[in-house]
Amino acid sequence: MRILIVEDDELVADALKRGLAQAGFAVDHLATAEQAEAALATDEFDLAVVDIGLPRTDGLALVRRLRHSGSALPVLIITARDALADRVDALDLGADDYMTKPFELPEVAARCRALIRRTRSATSAQLTIGAVALDLASRTVQLHGRALDVTRREWSILECLALDTGRVVRKERLLRAIAGWDEDLTPNAVEVYVSRLRAKLGDALAIHTVRGLGYRLDDPAA
Amino acid sequence: MTPQPEPAQGPGSLGRRLLILLLAPLGAMLLAGLLVDYLSSVGPTRGAFDRSLGDTALVVAAYLRPGSLAKIPAELPPEVAATLRGTGDRALRFAVRDAAGRLLAGDRDLPLPPTGFTPRSTPNPEFADTLLAGEPTRVVWYALALDSGSTTIAVAEPTRARDRPTRELVTVSVIFDVLQLVAVVLLVIVGVRRGLKPLLALRDQLAARSAGELAPLDERSVPVEVRTLVASLNALFGRMRAAAESQQKFVADAAHQMRTPLAGIQAQLELLERDPQAAPVRDRVRAVGEGIRRLAHTAHQLLTLARAESAATLERDFRTVDLPRLIEQTVSAQLDRALAKPIDLGADAQPATVTAIDWLLRELLNNLTDNALNYTPPGGTVTLRCGTVAGAAFLEVEDDGPGIAEAERPLMTERFRRSAGATGIGTGLGLAIVSDIAGVHGARLSIGAGAGGRGTRVRVEFPARKDPGG
Repeated sequence: MRILIVEDDELVADALKRGLAQAGFAVDHLATAEQAEAALATDEFDLAVVDIGLPRTDGLALVRRLRHSGSALPVLIITARDALADRVDALDLGADDYMTKPFELPEVAARCRALIRRTRSATSAQLTIGAVALDLASRTVQLHGRALDVTRREWSILECLALDTGRVVRKERLLRAIAGWDEDLTPNAVEVYVSRLRAKLGDALAIHTVRGLGYRLDDPAA
Repeated sequence: MTPQPEPAQGPGSLGRRLLILLLAPLGAMLLAGLLVDYLSSVGPTRGAFDRSLGDTALVVAAYLRPGSLAKIPAELPPEVAATLRGTGDRALRFAVRDAAGRLLAGDRDLPLPPTGFTPRSTPNPEFADTLLAGEPTRVVWYALALDSGSTTIAVAEPTRARDRPTRELVTVSVIFDVLQLVAVVLLVIVGVRRGLKPLLALRDQLAARSAGELAPLDERSVPVEVRTLVASLNALFGRMRAAAESQQKFVADAAHQMRTPLAGIQAQLELLERDPQAAPVRDRVRAVGEGIRRLAHTAHQLLTLARAESAATLERDFRTVDLPRLIEQTVSAQLDRALAKPIDLGADAQPATVTAIDWLLRELLNNLTDNALNYTPPGGTVTLRCGTVAGAAFLEVEDDGPGIAEAERPLMTERFRRSAGATGIGTGLGLAIVSDIAGVHGARLSIGAGAGGRGTRVRVEFPARKDPGG
């Protein structure tokens, strides 16, 4: 997985480069939006990590141009500003995620992985989280390379959680995923299926309960 | 802004001044009118009664046949005398005397006319006030020339006979004058109130503003007299807003300039800590990393505090914020810390919206959650709550940690103040920030014990929304 870092601060760029490389990514770094635009036009990347505060053309302008040219490349914006307006701008302009400085390197890696996974699931039928592989087309799960027997509803819950790995998925959403329009299920049903999934997945994947909100599936690599 | 003490001296209330200046002369004028009315109704009444008394004297005179002194009857015909005497209050008495003062007819005790009173005297008839058997009496003398010589007729009437009609007349005009006075006072009061309305509206408009609300006032909606004042106020508001905006920009720039190098140092130290080559100095690297984290945290807190202070003036940043969504984001952001400790971090989010500055509320809830996670021991519970009570939204963070002693609670919002048992990288700014942000939103901050008297519960109660649709 190849990542382009667009950041003008040497110290930050170097840390990102090393950190993401250690997390298993192939990383390239450029210091200006102009250089980045040229590189993105010719080379293939899976993700761009873009700082907003770039000299001359800023990061938001780069994202805007990228989307304007029809690129669907996932973009993680990094900024030293924390005002809401920036966040809204970034996401409105087509950035996929947003992080403020200072950041923790493992979190940057986790966000990158999640973004790439989400983008790929839109085009590919395969989704891999740690030792678990999901085939979205055939709706089957493999654990450590061996087929795992899951029911239709367990699959639906796992798929929902896997597509939003690292994020809290609300219980209501899981309930909607397993309840057909002719079925009346209580939120307790979600708990039942989640606990069955936990039993089947064992130590391979952790599904955390977030009291009052829902569940979160964690990427063991993060 | 601290509330200004009321000025002890000064022009006082404008309304009161106007009322006094209008009502005092008006009241004096009405009282003068009352006096004039009294005099102008008493005078003519007295004249009318006197004329009537004089007429009676003339009637008596008509019975005294001219030309024959000898034929003057000793008594008037009884029926005439009875009619003349009248009844009740108008009990008239009369006396007819010759030039020598001898009584020819009537009552003996009526006073004699003034000496030298003849038919040629002016005035004729002559009136006088006297006492008759201890009673105030009006008497009239009329002199006429008969063949027998000058004869005087005296007719007396108790003044009480004229008191009642006079009193009635005066009463009516006094009642009318008092009614007029009351009506004028009411009209003046209402008029002054109505006249001052635009001024009072301006006052209410200013009073309803939050400390930092600096939008210009509408100069066209105020009377010409205060337009200059409002224009000066608007100019002042404008300068303050510009100052606030430049502070916002300065803080945002400062944040930007500080965060980038901090991010670089922090990330580099993170890498160094994992670097096998740095293994011999790992502890020192970790300590430096911790210091940098603390520095970054403090810088962030200080910048947040600085921005919160000037943010209130930027009303354009206020928008509808969905509290359950804010809680979900905060729980998501803090979940890793909670799982690592471990602490059961959960939510109890009921529908609630507020008009607020989104990123400030995020800081508020983040600081409260941060504190709760810091002070609650592993295995504890932290719950973020929101909801609406009687149209007013609230936000609450409750933990079952050691709690804050009651005596210490009011002091917790002071800057750089830390709880007695504080550990970790806290700056002591968290609750000061929370308190400032609550203030910006006109919300009430309260610190108490959690459920069952254990732990801490910090509650932020927002004012009820005027437009629920927002």
